[in-house]
Amino acid sequence: MALAKRWRASVGEGQAWGAIMAFLLPALLFFLLFTAYPIAKTIYNSFHIIRPNRPDEFVGFGNYAQVLFADAYFTQSLVNTLIWATVAPIVDVTLGLLLAACLYARLPCARFFRVAWFSPVLISYVVIGVLWLWIYNFDWGVVNTLLRALGLGAWAHVWLGDPNTALWALILVDAWKWVGFHMVVCLAALSSLPREVIEAADLDNCGWFAKLVHIEIPMLKTTLVSLLILAFIGKMKIFDLVWIMTKGGPLWSTETLATYTFKRAFEWSTLDLGYPSAIAVLSFVLVIVFVLALSWLLRQRGRLEF
Amino acid sequence: MTLDFGRLFGRTLLLSVLALYTAFAAGPFAWLAVMSLRTTSEITADPYALPTILHWEKYPQAWFDSNYGTYFWNSAIVTVASVALLSVCGAMAAHCLARYRFPFNRLVFFLIFSAIILPPQITIIGIFQQLVQYGFYNTHLGLILVYVAMQMPLTVYILEGFFKRLPQDLFDAARIDGYSDWEIFWRITVPIGLPAIATTAILNMIYIWNEFLFAVVLLVDDNKRTLPLGIQRFMGDYLEDTGMLATGLMIAVVPIIVAYVFFSEKMIQGMTAGAVK
Repeated sequence: MALAKRWRASVGEGQAWGAIMAFLLPALLFFLLFTAYPIAKTIYNSFHIIRPNRPDEFVGFGNYAQVLFADAYFTQSLVNTLIWATVAPIVDVTLGLLLAACLYARLPCARFFRVAWFSPVLISYVVIGVLWLWIYNFDWGVVNTLLRALGLGAWAHVWLGDPNTALWALILVDAWKWVGFHMVVCLAALSSLPREVIEAADLDNCGWFAKLVHIEIPMLKTTLVSLLILAFIGKMKIFDLVWIMTKGGPLWSTETLATYTFKRAFEWSTLDLGYPSAIAVLSFVLVIVFVLALSWLLRQRGRLEF
Repeated sequence: MTLDFGRLFGRTLLLSVLALYTAFAAGPFAWLAVMSLRTTSEITADPYALPTILHWEKYPQAWFDSNYGTYFWNSAIVTVASVALLSVCGAMAAHCLARYRFPFNRLVFFLIFSAIILPPQITIIGIFQQLVQYGFYNTHLGLILVYVAMQMPLTVYILEGFFKRLPQDLFDAARIDGYSDWEIFWRITVPIGLPAIATTAILNMIYIWNEFLFAVVLLVDDNKRTLPLGIQRFMGDYLEDTGMLATGLMIAVVPIIVAYVFFSEKMIQGMTAGAVK
């Protein structure tokens, strides 16, 4: 026993393969069984027609060809998702940063503001969706009531019923949920900046806005970039909010890649899992390409500047 | 003197902007809370009035007219089991990746971590087929396993970052004292890393408690549904009955709000853990 312990103590860490495998195995098993294997299965599906109780029928790139060149719904959901995933991160991060900069100016009740603004992050999209269905209600919703009270009754609108406004209405709800998150992260990053720099700016009578643009944003660049990429990844996944509020309607104007895949796979009785798998694989490739390109691009610019 | 006045004006302006944003961020919840205490006919008469009579009786009514008890219980089982599994398996993997030097260490880390970017649709069809095939479809166990796999990347990423910063001397000393590999993990990394593990536990708890897509696809029986599905069901049943629906939503929100009132800092820290370095 003692010998075994002494032996172990003398063994360098490089050789403890048994322990390494034992520690890694559970997590790796979960990864292999419920992430890697399903992805492989989906890729396999995408080259076949998969129907219950019938042998899989190989169709080569048939599904892909149809998705890419003959499916207007796919194109529409792709465009919607890309609009969402580019506009929303910029809105979220900008607003979050502005709010954080406000709180950073040492206002009274900053703690209260921070806690209140963060609260939507914790609430499920299902509750948020129903709540905002009421807020957008034509007859008695908050938005139209406010417009009417301000004498702008003519602008009152069926926000979720009009294909031109529905997507933007949803993006606003999404921003409402996530701005608090970005505010907290930016605030934490702001607080970790060296105090002397900020104080020097204050001594130079640097205004609030000038300080933000010339000092704080450049110093926070890494945080902002990773927030943008994280937000982009998050928006590419969006499903719940759309499903509760519009189910992709009206006229496909809020369809996203996730909702369209879900519809084709589980909602419509097409009884074919091959076609939706092709959509899934395409959105997967798209996300990977975008994330790689985005991080490469942003890192490239960073390298040029320093 | 004028400078002070300008400063005062600026601050007042800033404060009012912030107050406006607060109304925007928290107002909907206040509205929901007020509506949950009013009947639908009162709401129809004036959606924005304060309640004249507090209809507390709507809460037990909503609870007993629906299956909320079951939904809460199901969500609790699924969340607790998933978070427990995630904390143990995630901490073990993170400890291993942070403490042991071996070939492919970074490759394994990158592989697990890169799963963060996956859109859910790439796994969901395969998972559905797999669970149907092995009889885990429409079971809580199946859903728990899927949730653990879903949250594992972020958990390992956060914990690895934290464990890596623990001083190596601690581990060298333990090894010289004859601690086994497991003892080192269990008696050093876990106790010291407990704050980080608690942070990931909170993060995972909130995500899993609110998760909707996988639950929709993988559960069919009403008595197996988790809370978000239950709310959706409740919404379908009471679509015209705004007052009752508000009460139902409020029941679902209250536990989170209560937890938030007591643990706001810890919850904020947990939710932002992946993004704050």
